[in-house]
Amino acid sequence: MGRVLLACAAVTFLTVLIATAPDTRPVASTSSQVVHRPVVQDGPGLRALQAKYKTLSKQLSQLKPSQPYILVDTARNRLYVKHQGEVVLNAIASTGSGTILDKPGDDTSQWIFDTPRGEFLVQSKLTKPTWIKPDWAFIEEGLGVPKDAAERAEPGVLGDYALGFGKGYFIHGTLYTRLLGKNVTHGCIRLNDTDLKGVYTLARVGTPIMIY
Amino acid sequence: MIPQHAQIRLMNLCAILLLFVLTTPSWGKDLEAFPNLNLNDPRSVKEATRVLEEELKLAARPHTYVLIDLVGNTIHIKGRGVELHHMPIVQWSVGSWEKLTGNHRLVARPQVVRRKIEPGKGDEQEPISLTDMPADYDLSFSSGLTINVVPLAEKGNLAQGIAFMGKAWWRRLKNWTSTIGTDQPSTSAAQLEITVSVDHAQSLAWSLVDGMAVLIRRSADR
Repeated sequence: MGRVLLACAAVTFLTVLIATAPDTRPVASTSSQVVHRPVVQDGPGLRALQAKYKTLSKQLSQLKPSQPYILVDTARNRLYVKHQGEVVLNAIASTGSGTILDKPGDDTSQWIFDTPRGEFLVQSKLTKPTWIKPDWAFIEEGLGVPKDAAERAEPGVLGDYALGFGKGYFIHGTLYTRLLGKNVTHGCIRLNDTDLKGVYTLARVGTPIMIY
Repeated sequence: MIPQHAQIRLMNLCAILLLFVLTTPSWGKDLEAFPNLNLNDPRSVKEATRVLEEELKLAARPHTYVLIDLVGNTIHIKGRGVELHHMPIVQWSVGSWEKLTGNHRLVARPQVVRRKIEPGKGDEQEPISLTDMPADYDLSFSSGLTINVVPLAEKGNLAQGIAFMGKAWWRRLKNWTSTIGTDQPSTSAAQLEITVSVDHAQSLAWSLVDGMAVLIRRSADR
């Protein structure tokens, strides 16, 4: 029995060795062929280039976020939380409508309701957030802008959590869940309650948010 | 006769060795920036290192950028070296290879017709969507490069096919006439024409922002 086991182990070992041995035959390379093994006989120039390529590849991979990060696809209204290339959370979102609103009394100035693109960081994590309505929210509804700041506060419309990523933009909840998957917001990113809680749990202050 | 404990040790060693051999190539592959690179072709490796040197500069900043890979026939939207989105290229043609090096900053992109909100009208106003994006457009860059994005007509849609082909020929005719009377041959223009599906052309138009950097990985078959 012992000899049989030993023979099996030896055969496995030899098979692995043969299968992984470097191929020193010249490789006919065509544009459609994918060849990863370097040819041993090639000159130092190619070897230096290969080494440089591998070093640069490694440097580029080191720039990738090592912690979980948030990815937002504004065209398809999707939010993902990814960690080391794997999707940890996949949510339907609502992002900026791309519409414009003229600023009253200023012919040259307007608000553009886009979700900003690029890389951002989670700057704040709030629970039970209250929306402080900006000027455009009143103007859009055809109302006058209140002078009293207290009249701007609207609790309960942003869900249980909000993650701020700068310049007044937040990832937050919504009362209008039927509009998820559509470009309807003023630039913020809306999620349903379950996904919002998931993102809030996974993200920390400093978590990267990449929006495209 | 080998004692039983020695046999077990040897088998454990073989198992560890087997695991090591099986997992090592996948580590290396993860680190490679271009999995489709032919490492035996010096021109391909040189081009890949040139692109990587440029990409490292872009990936070090908190901005998204575009990598047009003419070897892998793919447009990648990237940030920090991470691929955010990709779109396949159906076909491409290029005016001058040399002028495709470096990173190119987008200075002009297609106009998007935005809807204006009428105060007090609420939900009646339609938001912008991907289908509002243009599919046939030119992108101009600070380096002088122009990228013509040409949509591929949907199968069976003859009218669309004729319209797209007509536009492409009109563009080529305009380019050709602009070189008449100059010493420069038309092929020396820094111009790249890429054909993608209508959806991907619209998706690219959506993803681009002013000042965005674009890198091009050239094919070794040039």
